[in-house]
Amino acid sequence: MLALDRVGKTYPNGVEALARFSAEIRQGEIVAIIGGSGCGKSTLLRAIAGLDRASSGTVTLDDEAIASPHAKIGIIFQEPRLLPWLSVADNIGFGLADLPAAERRAKVARALARVGLADKAQAWPRELSGGQAQRVAIARALVPQPEVLLLDEPFSALDAFTRRDLQDHLLDLWADTRPTLILVTHDVDEAVVLADRVLVMRPRPGRLFDQIEINLGRPRDRNSPLFENFKRSVLTSLDRSLDRSVPDRDATLGPGQAMWW
Amino acid sequence: MISDAPALQRSSDTAESAAAPSRVARYARPVLGVLLPLALALGWELVVWSGWSNGRLVPPPSRVLVTIVDLARSGELVRHIAATLWRVGLGFAFGVVAGTLLGAISGYWSLARRLLDPTVQALRAIPSLAWVPLFILWLGIFETSKIALIAVGVFFPVYLGVMGAILSVDRKIVEVGRTFRLSGPAMIRRILLPAVLPAYVVSLRVGLGLGWMFVVAAELIGASEGLGYLLLDGQQLGKPAQILAAIVIFAMLGKLTDWLIEVGSAPFLRWQDAFGRAGGA
Repeated sequence: MLALDRVGKTYPNGVEALARFSAEIRQGEIVAIIGGSGCGKSTLLRAIAGLDRASSGTVTLDDEAIASPHAKIGIIFQEPRLLPWLSVADNIGFGLADLPAAERRAKVARALARVGLADKAQAWPRELSGGQAQRVAIARALVPQPEVLLLDEPFSALDAFTRRDLQDHLLDLWADTRPTLILVTHDVDEAVVLADRVLVMRPRPGRLFDQIEINLGRPRDRNSPLFENFKRSVLTSLDRSLDRSVPDRDATLGPGQAMWW
Repeated sequence: MISDAPALQRSSDTAESAAAPSRVARYARPVLGVLLPLALALGWELVVWSGWSNGRLVPPPSRVLVTIVDLARSGELVRHIAATLWRVGLGFAFGVVAGTLLGAISGYWSLARRLLDPTVQALRAIPSLAWVPLFILWLGIFETSKIALIAVGVFFPVYLGVMGAILSVDRKIVEVGRTFRLSGPAMIRRILLPAVLPAYVVSLRVGLGLGWMFVVAAELIGASEGLGYLLLDGQQLGKPAQILAAIVIFAMLGKLTDWLIEVGSAPFLRWQDAFGRAGGA
């Protein structure tokens, strides 16, 4: 289980990007974090990844505090961030340097086939389309079999068709080992299609505003009325989160007291 | 309808003729570049041959060629080339080692950069030839001062190139290394070195070019052998053909050594965009 306990982040310039963010995320759960710009969702993700240290609060994975990048936590960024001097296969195997070569090759070959890029194994990253490159990035993050996979707006730079394709593909891959997925997005559709639970954040400072369980079976029909209903409730919550006249749910609680759930 | 037909025909014609020149252009382009110097050389050869000029101050290409052949026959040429190559090689080696080390330290470690870089930049502002009298006083008139001068010339572009390349390594790529928990040495080997390599090769080529520049300066100041000595000897004894011969050999050696770096680094830079390579060729 991934536990976030009153995580806060204040940058050296005094900007409070994140304040007292608490949540518990079960193993294998898919959580989408959504919110207006500047609500600290990327900051939160970087704190979970151990890339930036939180200035207050703790992130623990199975009772182990996370303060630096951890073997059980993988991350996929908005850009593929492939290493241009490595072939596609070597990019995917980048995190497997400790394994014997034969085992590494086998795992990479399996991952390549799994993301449908077996014929691109020896291609250079520059020869890939945006969607293919992001697939390689997903394979690279998944191949060491992390328990938690963090995704920072992973499909926002792709066209609508490729985005849908990759969303479905991600769910398909997720079903293999069922890691915990934490997905930062600003796309309501994406959040509802992927997540078991949507956390809505509100900005300045970034904090948790609301959470919505998406009780829908998979695969989800993007056109069903139920899907529309969930989309509407996320949108409503998102609107309210940006409305300054709506008070925080935990504003009535004193400091240090439990959150409302 | 009738008036449309010729227009259609014409458009298909131009499409064909556009394809044909592109095939020709592949061979024509390098040939075009050679055309002007070749025409000038042939023209001058003709002018001298027909007696319009005696070609004493500007010898025709054939006489330069004869000079080169004569020098080669007597074994002089090899001796001079060897001396010059030795100086450039040693100076380049020292310059590259120092430039790479200090550049890497300055690029990697910001405290060192703050300490070191202002001094290096100040020294860089000094025209390198200004060191010559001092080097001769300190290191004598023989090989050491020459090699030191060449090394100074090579040092600055390599230092700047390495430091700049390290500073401009994409933070996002470094972060990928961090998420895979690379240790310091692994980060350098697997992320920084490959990221820096293209800029490093460019700085080596610039450094080598300056090395060739400075070997001429060093050999003009005082040497008893070397291609620069051939230049000076040709001037003092009034042998322009020998000067031109030395210049031609300088050009060929400079191009050859530059090509060696390019070819030697090519296998490591295959991943770069074809666009860059097409532009460089």
